[in-house]
Amino acid sequence: MANSEQANQRLTLMGNQAISRGALEAGMRVAAGYPGTPSSEIIENLAKSADEHGLYVEWSINEKVSLEVAAAASLAGLRSLCAMKQNGVNVASDFLLHLAGSGIRAGMVLVHCDDPGALSSVNEGESRHFARMIELPQLEPGDFQEAKDMTKWAFELSEELGQVVMLRSVTRLSHASGGVVPGPLPEVSGQARFEHNGSLLDPQRGPVTAGPVSVNHPRMQEKLARAVELFEESPFNTYSGPEEPELLVITCSICSLYVKEALVMLGAADRVGVLKLGTTWPLPPKLVQRNLERCERIMVVEEVIPFLEENLKIMAAELAGQIGPKQFMAKREGYLPSTGELNPDLVAAALARALDIEYQERPAGYAAKVASAAQATDTPRELAFCPGCPHRASYWSLKSALALDGRDGFICGDIGCYALGARPSNYGILKTLHAMGSGAGLATGFGQLGRFGMDQPVMAVSGDSTFYHAVIPALINAVHQKSPMSLVIMDNSGTAMTGFQPHPGTQTDAMGHPVPPVDLEGICRALGAEVTVCDPFDLETTRQAAMDMLADQSTAKVLILRQLCALSPERKGKKLYDVQVDPDKCLGGQCGCNRLCTRVFGCPGLAWERETGRAYIDEVICAGCGVCASVCPAGAIIKTERA
Amino acid sequence: MIKQGPRDLVEQVQEAGLCIGCGSCVELCPYFRSHNGKTVVLHDCDLEQGRCHAWCPKAELDLEELSQALWGKPYRFTGVGPHLALTAAKAGPALGEGAFQSGGTVSALLAAALDQGMIQGAVLTGREGLEPLPTLARSLDEIKACAGSKFTAAPTLAAFNRAQAQGAEGLAVVATPCQGAALAQRRLDKVNPDAPTGPAELVVGLFCNWGLDPQGLMRFLGQKVNPETIKAMDIPPPPAGVLTVETTEGTLEIPLDEIRGFIPPACAICPDMTSEWADVSVGMLEGRPGWNTLVVRSEKGRALAEAAADKGWLVLEEMPADMREHLAGAAEAKRARALGAAQEQGLLGGPDEPGPKALRVGPEFWAELSQGKGE
Repeated sequence: MANSEQANQRLTLMGNQAISRGALEAGMRVAAGYPGTPSSEIIENLAKSADEHGLYVEWSINEKVSLEVAAAASLAGLRSLCAMKQNGVNVASDFLLHLAGSGIRAGMVLVHCDDPGALSSVNEGESRHFARMIELPQLEPGDFQEAKDMTKWAFELSEELGQVVMLRSVTRLSHASGGVVPGPLPEVSGQARFEHNGSLLDPQRGPVTAGPVSVNHPRMQEKLARAVELFEESPFNTYSGPEEPELLVITCSICSLYVKEALVMLGAADRVGVLKLGTTWPLPPKLVQRNLERCERIMVVEEVIPFLEENLKIMAAELAGQIGPKQFMAKREGYLPSTGELNPDLVAAALARALDIEYQERPAGYAAKVASAAQATDTPRELAFCPGCPHRASYWSLKSALALDGRDGFICGDIGCYALGARPSNYGILKTLHAMGSGAGLATGFGQLGRFGMDQPVMAVSGDSTFYHAVIPALINAVHQKSPMSLVIMDNSGTAMTGFQPHPGTQTDAMGHPVPPVDLEGICRALGAEVTVCDPFDLETTRQAAMDMLADQSTAKVLILRQLCALSPERKGKKLYDVQVDPDKCLGGQCGCNRLCTRVFGCPGLAWERETGRAYIDEVICAGCGVCASVCPAGAIIKTERA
Repeated sequence: MIKQGPRDLVEQVQEAGLCIGCGSCVELCPYFRSHNGKTVVLHDCDLEQGRCHAWCPKAELDLEELSQALWGKPYRFTGVGPHLALTAAKAGPALGEGAFQSGGTVSALLAAALDQGMIQGAVLTGREGLEPLPTLARSLDEIKACAGSKFTAAPTLAAFNRAQAQGAEGLAVVATPCQGAALAQRRLDKVNPDAPTGPAELVVGLFCNWGLDPQGLMRFLGQKVNPETIKAMDIPPPPAGVLTVETTEGTLEIPLDEIRGFIPPACAICPDMTSEWADVSVGMLEGRPGWNTLVVRSEKGRALAEAAADKGWLVLEEMPADMREHLAGAAEAKRARALGAAQEQGLLGGPDEPGPKALRVGPEFWAELSQGKGE
């Protein structure tokens, strides 16, 4: 596929595929990452062709370890790549800071994919700030071709600087597709060897350590200075438009496409100059100066926090003596929002305001027309778990257990599909939701508050992959500090939300090779927690197990609710049961049921027939888990085991 | 009858602290459950009318309507309330031995009713440790196994609802006054005519001054005795002022003042000491250990009491006048105290008072009560 296509044939590639291709063209040998939207396809693509290209690719236990795995390859002379989503950089940042101090050897690229608008996140964190904070060069491809080309170049840059290079994508680049002309794939050779017998001060042959800071920190800044020199000449920084425009737009990343489109929409391409920066940190001052001199008014178009804008303003202030004062029209001036995604409409509106052009985003009444058209065909729906999802069954039982317990207990949520439990359509059962592993961490803390009069029991939920990623330390803490935390591990046997990537509990690695799964129960028991394992499809047993956990608040406990994800390769399309509703038994909206299955339980496989006032099974999407048969108070849902 | 839905019930009863945990709303639907003596709401139900609210003894209990429907007269009760007979009673030789509270009259009446074919079974309350455990008894032995007072509010009606849902018919219920009120309301209205729950065949009411919050009592007694060793509990007549707990290790006396805190607030507004809506009501007979007071209220109750006496299940004796007076005085005192408390808390009203109200009385009685208040 994209990984093995020959050079010079124009392909349509997803941004993440283009990044993988660029890495292959750079002769990258080792790739590691932790799954996270919108970054996951980079490692997935590389893993697919690992055998063909002689790569080692892994899904590491978390982002920090993945960065360490990639760094090891670089230190042993192999080009390496590490990929993660924006908040993954937070997890990896401690090592990243120290790695920046020590420097690397073979080219090493950290691809971080931001999610402006939080389309698949519970944050829209801006990971470019790490580049400035940690003093690393930052690249931002502006289209699909650049995603491929800049990735390849990033390895060369990294090697030349002896420093990690950060390359940022965003959801609309990673997940959209565009034209890419691939380059040649190199013959790769070279043996891994870690040279460590030289002097501590020899970056190529000595031990690799973050210190001594008095030596390494100035060295880091020399590398950045060298990066600036290279960025002055970089072909990824381009100017287009009239020589002396009315307005200069400085932009980067996918926003450069929005600017192009907006200028066409406004018919203003001949009035506006566009400086598209591919190297956004550190800024090359000569290039910036040359362009700022073109006109007085500057608009900066970028997503979320004004990173480029602030750095440009600092530079403009420094250059003021030479170029005079500039009028900025950007986020801080209220032209563009500093939360959420941008789009061509928002950019066009900002440009229209700056250029004094009459612009109406949409004809009057358009929004109302769209809404009514949508209502005619679409059922309004909240985000819900899939039909047959084990999480719905788990939460159903946990909800009942907490209600029966009667002490206003609550669940600390965590990151995975099961985070949807914070939404009303999924019982609104999660009362906190933050970072990977934070549910368990918060729960150990809540568990200590009994001494201050808190009598509510606390539970935490975690997925299996999240457990390995960041929950284990919290569980150890709970056991050691005697926190009466009840941890429910919802083990659906894969990193389901991001597309079934393997994790330490699975039997194959990223490349599809067999590996020994670690023993989830064994780990928890070894840590000193009492462990119970249940099938969440067995509602009664699960509820009782949860109630037992809540009743005994003396120690940390683990309840593993194990059931395959309905979309897992093993379960997808395979019904356990044929499920039917007996319309004669169904109580429908009457007192005694009031549509429990469709109104409260809420599996999309159950549907409501208004005419008859009865529930029925939507055969097409029912996953055949049979759980609704246990939910129905009238015994009207009948499940028959499939032969 | 004001019919409202489960959300109203939750607001007016559960959240207002008036739920007594009788179990009337439990096992009718998947939304209410009993756990550790408490009624728990598992999910939100948005029906505008439900049996849960219609039958709850603490939500819009229309005493006037009930009285007219059951006894054909206004709710202006005196003494032990409407009755055909008031006698002393105890179990007769036909019943044999058992761990009865006082005279074993309840067990004797149920045994007779079973024997007569009047009922197919009886829902009563056993105990597991300190936890009251509603049970469906279908034989004499099963009835005798449940003998003895529990002194805690119990979700007996949940077991009744469950048994009916499973197809049981002809059931007697041994009910406290609140449970009796819940059962009586079922005779007035059926919110959902298709559902298989309805009134009981026979209601044997128990005298009750107040119940105790089972979770609170369990926690409290659990610190003093091993719940598994408890054989029986009793509150001997005044001036003893104690709860006696008989265990395999001996008998413990707990001053009533120590357990008054576990009396649910709902008991304070209950005007009924002698189970005024039952077919027959049974309580202790003060001053005569080993005997009960029996109040026969309905024709069905009279037929049962007579048959029970005929067949030797029950021994009846005239109740001395001073005991009648004493009992009447106690019942009236509770009625007056509760109506006063309910009125004070804004929980009592006439038929047209804007709701919600826990209790309603007829227009004349309400005018009288309001006037009394105004003076």
